[in-house]
Amino acid sequence: MSSEPGAAPDPDEAQRAIEYCYARGWSDGLPLVPVSQPLLDEFLAQTGRDPDEVIGGLPHVGREVTVAIAAINAAMAGCRPEYFPVVLAAWDALRKDRAASGGGWQSTSGPAPLIVVNGPVRTELGINATGGVFGPGFRANATIARAIGLIVRNGLGIEPQVLEQATQGLPGRWSICIGENEEQSPWPPMAVDAGLPAGTSAVSAMLLRTAEFVDNRHTNDPEQLLWDFADTISRSGALIFRDTSVGIVFGPEHAQLLAGAGFSKADVQAWFVEHCGRTAADLHRAGKDGVNEKTVRYAAQSTAAETADGQFHRILPSAAAVPIAVAGARNAAMSMVVRVFGLWSGQSVAIAEVPVQEAAR
Amino acid sequence: MPNAILDPTGRTSHRAPAVLAKRPADLSGAVIGLLENTKKNAVEFLGELGRLLVERHNAAGTVLRTKTNFALPVSDELRDEFARDCAVVITGVGDCGSCSASAVADGVTFERAGVPAVVICSDAFRTTADAMAQRQGAAGYRYLTTPHPVAPLAPDQIRQRAEQLLPQVVEILIGQSTVEGSA
Repeated sequence: MSSEPGAAPDPDEAQRAIEYCYARGWSDGLPLVPVSQPLLDEFLAQTGRDPDEVIGGLPHVGREVTVAIAAINAAMAGCRPEYFPVVLAAWDALRKDRAASGGGWQSTSGPAPLIVVNGPVRTELGINATGGVFGPGFRANATIARAIGLIVRNGLGIEPQVLEQATQGLPGRWSICIGENEEQSPWPPMAVDAGLPAGTSAVSAMLLRTAEFVDNRHTNDPEQLLWDFADTISRSGALIFRDTSVGIVFGPEHAQLLAGAGFSKADVQAWFVEHCGRTAADLHRAGKDGVNEKTVRYAAQSTAAETADGQFHRILPSAAAVPIAVAGARNAAMSMVVRVFGLWSGQSVAIAEVPVQEAAR
Repeated sequence: MPNAILDPTGRTSHRAPAVLAKRPADLSGAVIGLLENTKKNAVEFLGELGRLLVERHNAAGTVLRTKTNFALPVSDELRDEFARDCAVVITGVGDCGSCSASAVADGVTFERAGVPAVVICSDAFRTTADAMAQRQGAAGYRYLTTPHPVAPLAPDQIRQRAEQLLPQVVEILIGQSTVEGSA
């Protein structure tokens, strides 16, 4: 039953198609857009890549993802066709993450991808970089992140409680795609940190265990502000190994305060590397004072005397373990500490141009 | 004629059905390969099983190797080394989301290479272990489980667990070459 042009589509047919997708086990829990060949063709027209190109199999799970499979999942997620190059770049950026190309998707940690978008593509596609950047409410942000989740679920076949073994998972998994607020950031964008030319539309991605706010509208002193961050960054519950990695998505106000006091991004990173950590006594109290030969922490049988000397253990090995972006509205001085699962690759992926003949259609 | 709704499922990498390795009649004189996956207590657990096999089943000795990445299947080099030097292999302990699945994948890999293998996982990860066996072309692959968790166990508890599992380990290593329900 085809509708007249301009007429409202048939909701009963749409509902049957949605239920069909649920029944096949393709859904992450929310309704999917049923994908037809004409819709798939619109997505494929947005890339010059061969639909059959394999873009990330995991040999150990016996599945391969092709460009066409990624496109079907992106369309199901609710992406518009023009988002597809961003989805492909996000996927490629995640493939550079050691955990995501290994066992990360199967982990009991249930990590969530953080997808950071830079460049003009943010305004072209309406990718939110300002108020409520962690969502919800913006189609591009919501569906690009969801597309990655559906590719993992359907493309790789890693489903919750089967090959995915998240103990609790985390709120926001498959929904964290943010534009960087380059216009109100005092610092170069992430993609430039990663070596791409300024003004490049690009995606950076890493896996997160959670995101935790730091609300400090209380001080204009940069050192006090940094100490407030250090407390959240240094909490013992997040420490598993000797070293950890923690990203900061600064709200514009915090970033501007720090930059106004003369802090470059590198200065902020160096400050955190120097000041974040715990004393031996703190670590002992939490059963994490020992570090074995595999750098995993354990409850050492330290004596009170051994832990009472105030010895300070740093937890961030280098600036590379402290990726920084700026996003959100300039309406309150708050930021997000993002707890990195593994380590950011330090690489950003440029978003490919839409093929000329297709774009001209 | 309406359009079909397209299937989003990824391509299956081709994998022939697994065939289990031929079993020895007993473990007398056998070199036991131990592949530990770096998880806490894995060395201790496998080491204790190896020790018991030497002590009670006249195995010649053990070769202990470590997986560099517990989340991923064993490297071809390690597989070939075990196939060359060992009569049988014990691997584990699968006690996380990715390493339980990859331990099962390793067991199937060793069987394909002609080496009888025993995989040990914590019982919290049966579903993912079974799913991986299926992906590896070995649906119903038999592996052994030990109650979760393994990481916090003390040395005497590990010895006790090994002792409990020993009869099943021997049974799998010298038993019939069949793919059947998991232990």
